[in-house]
Amino acid sequence: MINKDLGIDFLGVHFENPFCLSSSPVDNCYEMCAKAFDEGWGGVVFKTIGPAHFKIDEVSPRFDELTKEGTPFVGFKNMEQIAEHPLQENLDDLTKLKKNYPNKIVIASIMGTNEDDWVELARLVTEAGADMIEMNLSCPQMTSHAMGSDVGTNPKLVKKYCEAVKRGSDLPMMAKMTPNITDMVPAAKAAMDGGADGIATINTVKSVANLDLDKKVALPIVNGKSSISGFSGKAVKPIALRFIQQLRVAAGMEQLPISGIGGIETWEDAVEFILLGSTTLQVTTAVMQYGYRIVEDMKNGLMHYMEEQGVDHLSDLVGIANKNILPAEDLDRDYKVYPKIDWDKCIGCGRCFISCFDGAHQAITWDEKTRRPSVDYSKCVGCQLCNLVCPVGAISTGKIEMKPGRQGNVEDIDIESVRLTH
Amino acid sequence: MSNNYTKEDSGYTMTTVAEEAARCLLCHDAPCTKACPAGTDPARFIRSVRFRNIKGAAETIRENNALGAICARVCPTEKYCELACSRSGIDVPIDIGGIQRYVTDFEQQAGMKILEKGKANGLKIAIVGSGPAGLQSATTLLEKGYAVDIYEKNTKPGGYLTYGIPEYRLPQNIVDYEIKRITDLGATLHLNTAIGNDITMDQLKADYDAVILAVGASEAKMLPMFDNQANVETAVDFLARVKDAQGEVSEPDNVVVVGGGDVAMDVSTTLKRLGVKHVTDMVYEEFAEFRASKKELAGTQKAGVTIVDGYVPESMTGNEVTFKHRKIDAEMKIKADKVILAIGQQVNTDGLGITTKRGEVPFIGYQTQDPKVYVTGDIAHGDKTVVWAVRKGKEVAEEIDKTLMGGRQND
Ligand SMILES: Cc1cc2nc3c(=O)[nH]c(=O)nc-3n(C[C@H](O)[C@H](O)[C@H](O)COP(=O)(O)OP(=O)(O)OC[C@H]3O[C@@H](n4cnc5c(N)ncnc54)[C@H](O)[C@@H]3O)c2cc1C
Ligand SMILES: Cc1cc2nc3c(=O)[nH]c(=O)nc-3n(C[C@H](O)[C@H](O)[C@H](O)COP(=O)(O)O)c2cc1C
Ligand code: SF4
Ligand code: SF4
Ligand code: SF4
Repeated sequence: MINKDLGIDFLGVHFENPFCLSSSPVDNCYEMCAKAFDEGWGGVVFKTIGPAHFKIDEVSPRFDELTKEGTPFVGFKNMEQIAEHPLQENLDDLTKLKKNYPNKIVIASIMGTNEDDWVELARLVTEAGADMIEMNLSCPQMTSHAMGSDVGTNPKLVKKYCEAVKRGSDLPMMAKMTPNITDMVPAAKAAMDGGADGIATINTVKSVANLDLDKKVALPIVNGKSSISGFSGKAVKPIALRFIQQLRVAAGMEQLPISGIGGIETWEDAVEFILLGSTTLQVTTAVMQYGYRIVEDMKNGLMHYMEEQGVDHLSDLVGIANKNILPAEDLDRDYKVYPKIDWDKCIGCGRCFISCFDGAHQAITWDEKTRRPSVDYSKCVGCQLCNLVCPVGAISTGKIEMKPGRQGNVEDIDIESVRLTH
Repeated sequence: MSNNYTKEDSGYTMTTVAEEAARCLLCHDAPCTKACPAGTDPARFIRSVRFRNIKGAAETIRENNALGAICARVCPTEKYCELACSRSGIDVPIDIGGIQRYVTDFEQQAGMKILEKGKANGLKIAIVGSGPAGLQSATTLLEKGYAVDIYEKNTKPGGYLTYGIPEYRLPQNIVDYEIKRITDLGATLHLNTAIGNDITMDQLKADYDAVILAVGASEAKMLPMFDNQANVETAVDFLARVKDAQGEVSEPDNVVVVGGGDVAMDVSTTLKRLGVKHVTDMVYEEFAEFRASKKELAGTQKAGVTIVDGYVPESMTGNEVTFKHRKIDAEMKIKADKVILAIGQQVNTDGLGITTKRGEVPFIGYQTQDPKVYVTGDIAHGDKTVVWAVRKGKEVAEEIDKTLMGGRQND
């Protein structure tokens, strides 16, 4: 079996591999974190610890899932707040974890209601032996507006609380940002100004996933009613990647250290977060659905990827794709690429025809006798919708053509992708 | 050369294998994994496929099973992993063999080299027989640092993989590729060398630190009434001949097959794939007690073979064979251009210094009374399948290592 070093340094701390549990029920107590370490995770961001005076009182039931056709957990909605266990018990768990797993990284997630709370929590988790602090400025379903994403969308408060944490502790610290904001840059800048060493993102996206149609209530139904609350899992990956890209290209933040979160489930997801600038990775929903064991394939797949790419240090991959994501106005609009249909592969379902007619430009003609599609180049705009819907991969990118009156060499145009799909 | 005999069914694509893997329930303490005789760990490699780590899946298969691409095609999964599959509680078991085939095909296309030779420990082992048991024991020994010589009396290696299982179920290029992995790892093959004849057992014992007999049941059984009859061929001779010619043979229009196991099914289906018009399979057992696997039987029926159950051959005169029903008062006479006998295989232990009873050595385990001599594969106690040959190959290697190295790591 392949064996490559996945070690990486983040905020001055060495991780044996970049895979961490994100703060959530997956790392609620010592036994859970210990099992996760045994199965190969590099670090844990322990379930967010709040001040002793703030009482956590959870609803039941508290989860819902978005499905599509036969696929469960396309997205996951939760209504949980922060740790329910008593403060002292959480601190004792941190100490014990660090003692029994000295080479694994234990990160304390904390959340206060005011400056004093933040200072005090930072001091307590540092005393308990944590390696790093993550500030939870992003939970979208706290029962107090002085906590969670209401704070994280307010740059002034973000800065103030970051400064408070830095007064309470000299540990490396990352601020966990909410995606429930149009532009994350001001909040992230405020965090860095306040002394944060890096950013963790994303937390969950505010959502209503499904309604019960008889009762006319959103799910989950909490004694007849429901609330807007956080959405996570595969469906939020594109949102997470977008925020991370924007942070990494914002003026003055090009080398921003990021712990990437949101819908990570496979090694491919992990690589995407790394290529866009994440140094470490955090996971919750996929672990809730499948268990800690998913880290085995994430690690192994990442090693194979590094081998294929000829890369020996994971850090060499961090952020190298940022430069290839440009503002829409900067893209080449001088050419179009037609679809190419392989009639030997085609099984005659007609889905390309339907999609092109109903969702594109009526450029596919359908031979009713042979049940085979062909492309009318005079109408085709090269959107490649047909390519995406074909169930057997019979449609690929074909001839490239410059638009009338535009300059350029079609040979140099690069649109191929080798992502395993068909 | 491509004909109906050489044509293998097409396998999964990335899209369809992902769909099949998505049906897997990713069970805790997975029953499929516990039910694999060779410890191939299907739950583990299906999970890797599910999470798009095909290379990792290939590593799991290959490290546990040196013949992973072969087992993927020929394993009677309905008796092992798929019988245990939890998905049956919903509908039908996961197609574990099909997923395994996708992964091992990928491994081959990607040119992955997964197996690694252990650091040489200076010990040499001779293996007699290059069937699946010999090949797997060679691999495990090489991984542990032993030098390995394989002696094979035939001109081609592989035992029944090469000379038995038909091309449409197991393409010879797959067998060749799997064997090449093992010779690349360091095994030396000595073909056309029959032990007990060309080289004596005493010679082998003098030259090696241990000798493994993996000779299988490589000879056909006969019934006296068919002895010296024209137009009678044994199943193993027939299958070997057709495979060697890659289906380019001509057979008469009317053939009777005698036997009801998987070998009889292979013979009957092969005949049909060769274009033989009338294939009649006369089976000793009645349908309720059939020995052939359901998959094989279904394939044979689909191919259009006439199967008659409950009949035993009584006599043969000229080209007419008389069968009698075992339980009811009934007789059938069939005139056939040819009769193929698939009534079982037997072991030939001439000059090997061991005895077998009903095709097996009369003890459980691998070491014989001569402490330098071990047995494995079909002649050792246990199921007579390729996957069991793999298991027994791994186990005999472990046992030798324990005896010779006392379980010590060689580094
Ligand atoms: C037609 C047929 C179809 C089958 N289909 C399946 C199937 O679909 N799935 C399945 O799991 N199993 C199947 N089997 C059973 C399977 O092939 C055997 O269980 C398996 O091959 C046994 O492996 P082995 O290594 O013990 O012996 P073999 O495969 O029999 O190999 C023994 C080797 O030893 C060599 N040998 C023998 N004596 C000597 C000697 N004195 N010196 C040197 N070499 C010697 C032989 O030439 C042979 O190459 C099938 C068997 C047959 C006959
Ligand atoms: C049930 C649940 C509870 C969570 N609790 C916390 C929490 O206490 N603190 C926190 O910072 N984030 C919390 N999160 C957010 C996750 O840490 C993570 O940021 C988010 O779920 C996106 O990652 P994912 O798609 O891998 O789940 C929680 C998420 C879920 C699903
Ligand atoms: S590329 Fe777009 S417009 Fe052209 S045939 Fe396909 S779907 Fe129609
Ligand atoms: S979608 Fe694909 S398979 Fe279906 S008709 Fe179009 S090209 Fe053929
Ligand atoms: S028993 Fe079946 S469903 Fe369960 S892990 Fe194995 S293949 Fe998947």
